Amino acid sequence: MTLPILPTTMVGSYSMPGWLERLKTEYFARRISRVELDEIHDTAVKAAIKDQEIAGLDIVTDGELRRDNMIDYFVERLPGVQVDRSSKKFYYDFYDSEVIGKIPMAAVGLVDDFRFLLANTDREAKICITGPHSLTKRIRNKHYSTEEGLATDIARVMNMELKELVKAGAKYIQIDEPYYSGFPEDINWGVKVLNTLVEGVNAKIAVHICYGNRYGKPSWEGSYRYLFPAILGAKVQQLSLEFARRGGEDLELFREFSPPFELGAGVIDVKDHAVETPDIVAERIRKTMKVVPAEKLYILPDCGLFHLPRDIAFAKLRAMVAGTRIVRKELGR
Amino acid sequence: MQPERFARMRVHLDWLQYKQNFREPVMALQTAGEQPEGPASIELRVDCRQVTPGSLHDPLKRTLELSNSGSAERPDRIYLEEFQSFRSSIAWEFNRLYWQRLKDWENATGKSYEKALPGGKSDGNRPEAIADSVSDLWARLQELDSKSQLPAEIFLLEIGVGMGIRAGMFLDRFRDLDKEKGTNYYPRIRFLLGDYSLATLERSRPAVQSHVDLCSFIALDALDPLRTLSFLRHKILYVHLTNTYDNLPDEEVVWRNGRIYWVQVRAYISTADAARIGRDCDVAEADLPRAVKRLLEVGAEALPDRAKGMRFWMEIWNAMRTEERLENMLDLPNASFPAGLSIPQMEDILKGAPDDLRFHLSSGALESFRNTLPLLHPRGYLQVQDIFVTDLNDYGMGFYGPGKLEGSIVSWVNGALLREVAERGGYDLHFAPYTYRPGSKTSILYTTRRE
Repeated sequence: MTLPILPTTMVGSYSMPGWLERLKTEYFARRISRVELDEIHDTAVKAAIKDQEIAGLDIVTDGELRRDNMIDYFVERLPGVQVDRSSKKFYYDFYDSEVIGKIPMAAVGLVDDFRFLLANTDREAKICITGPHSLTKRIRNKHYSTEEGLATDIARVMNMELKELVKAGAKYIQIDEPYYSGFPEDINWGVKVLNTLVEGVNAKIAVHICYGNRYGKPSWEGSYRYLFPAILGAKVQQLSLEFARRGGEDLELFREFSPPFELGAGVIDVKDHAVETPDIVAERIRKTMKVVPAEKLYILPDCGLFHLPRDIAFAKLRAMVAGTRIVRKELGR
Repeated sequence: MQPERFARMRVHLDWLQYKQNFREPVMALQTAGEQPEGPASIELRVDCRQVTPGSLHDPLKRTLELSNSGSAERPDRIYLEEFQSFRSSIAWEFNRLYWQRLKDWENATGKSYEKALPGGKSDGNRPEAIADSVSDLWARLQELDSKSQLPAEIFLLEIGVGMGIRAGMFLDRFRDLDKEKGTNYYPRIRFLLGDYSLATLERSRPAVQSHVDLCSFIALDALDPLRTLSFLRHKILYVHLTNTYDNLPDEEVVWRNGRIYWVQVRAYISTADAARIGRDCDVAEADLPRAVKRLLEVGAEALPDRAKGMRFWMEIWNAMRTEERLENMLDLPNASFPAGLSIPQMEDILKGAPDDLRFHLSSGALESFRNTLPLLHPRGYLQVQDIFVTDLNDYGMGFYGPGKLEGSIVSWVNGALLREVAERGGYDLHFAPYTYRPGSKTSILYTTRRE
């Protein structure tokens, strides 16, 4: 399938319906069964895919609606990680988890999620995973002598999973590493671990780095300058960064360092309920194209749409696609 | 009294620590809808501080007579409003008038508002407390600086600035500490003084005169700071309030038998007080409601003789009491909880609470809190010095307002509910004791983004 110029896609998550949150709570209270919850998830995911298709996205995701949040879905599946299920008061919170021994190699179980996505869309499909640096920051390390050691072993397990995903047909994979921005001092070993994660994975790999989106709010603030020059050594094809909320000043870093990557440019502010107009989106894309050529540009929201109400999330995606089409027309493509 | 009615009668004993308040020594109220069939339940609320031997009999007798006659009004009271939630009561109009015309009140009583506070001084202005606040903030700034995450402009906000004394002391101390540490943060400070009263903002200016280049004086509604400061969303590193939440509109509910009842109030003046005040201020009893309305519009000038107008204000305020009734929330389709809390969420919060619990919603405080949090920088924090009820169960153990403090209203703030709202929104909240004045009832609330 050939993608148009300025391909549009999501960062990963789609609006989490309040009713899904409540049904999930019902499941934890043992008032509905696992089978029923799986059916609910399947239905919600199909609806999220359909919304993306109607909005006109070129590459769709499953909306990550099976996931409580970007951390717990993975720590629950990572072999050797112990999760305290009593530690979480609210649905969006993170579990307390710890690792007390070496993480063994075992499947994480994302392939079924991806197969379900493929079976329910004729668009290009992307799967997103939380990166080892971010996971390491949420797991209490009681075994490894360094955080890097723990992250490296997580990366090895996830590398095996990524290869399974490629076997299942994954062509677009996104690694989410928002915690880089909270711990800029880790960036050198963070990139090293990232390279372990993607070693030999034959797909287009993007790394998404934002300033956090917990409860729909930023977790940190600052400049992407901390990424450079370390990130230039990352063996990925694309950087996905947030620019809509923060403004485009950091685009200059692409001029300054000429990174070899494509840029997934965030043009939708996911922390503001006001829906952008297509013209605003188009202007943000034009501004980005002054630094990065259109051929190396993907168009995305700043981050996941998890915390936005569904009608707003959908309207924002439509505006993103409409704005992109304005620019495509100007380019004659 | 019929035996089945007597069986459903409740007696609550309180001790109202506020000498000026809205209660008669004994107050009787009815609760409709507790039983699908049959008469309303009766509840007697007794202020043990005011009550005298024999004073239980008359209010109970009158309440029974009233409910038997089907009449909704007592002939010995002049009502100033219809039944409604306390938040909408005329009492808050008096509160607004007080702050708008504080100078008039202070001149009439001969003492400043601060002198009326417990300890005769605002807890916001204690040098040691301010020094600790400055140290905490400076440490936070340094931590951000060490990661190259300190913004070029460091936005700080104080809501409810009074005379600006705290802001001035804070900036003095910050400048000194910054100089001592050689960090040069001081010139990057952008200190916002926010208050809904322009007159108050103007009064605060001299106290921050030596820092005035770093200060902005912003008229804002404490209930919705975000509306005025939306351009600073996620940018403010420190927000402070002292004794503001306890004076924001409030209302109460009762949790009983798995149902939520709204406490509705109706302000009145007894005919005896009305006659006395009327004689003293030259206001005919029949004209009293109209004179009160005019008072709330124009202040002491409501009467031809300004001195009598001032006396009228103070006397009416002192004499004003409220009747109460309980209404099942299911019968009030327009009633809603503050801060976007839904009924299921509130029921969830109340799951572990004891039955028959009457508590404050602190609606104004919750609204203000919810509309302040989005202003916080990811590493910013909100600090509130006030009187808090930190455990919902404590509402069964004491009286937490409303009381009258000079011409204003004071209620303890439902800190437990604030905590719930914060946690559901991704914030951590904790309370620290205020140790800077022995015997102080103040606590310090800290809210930060959950990591």
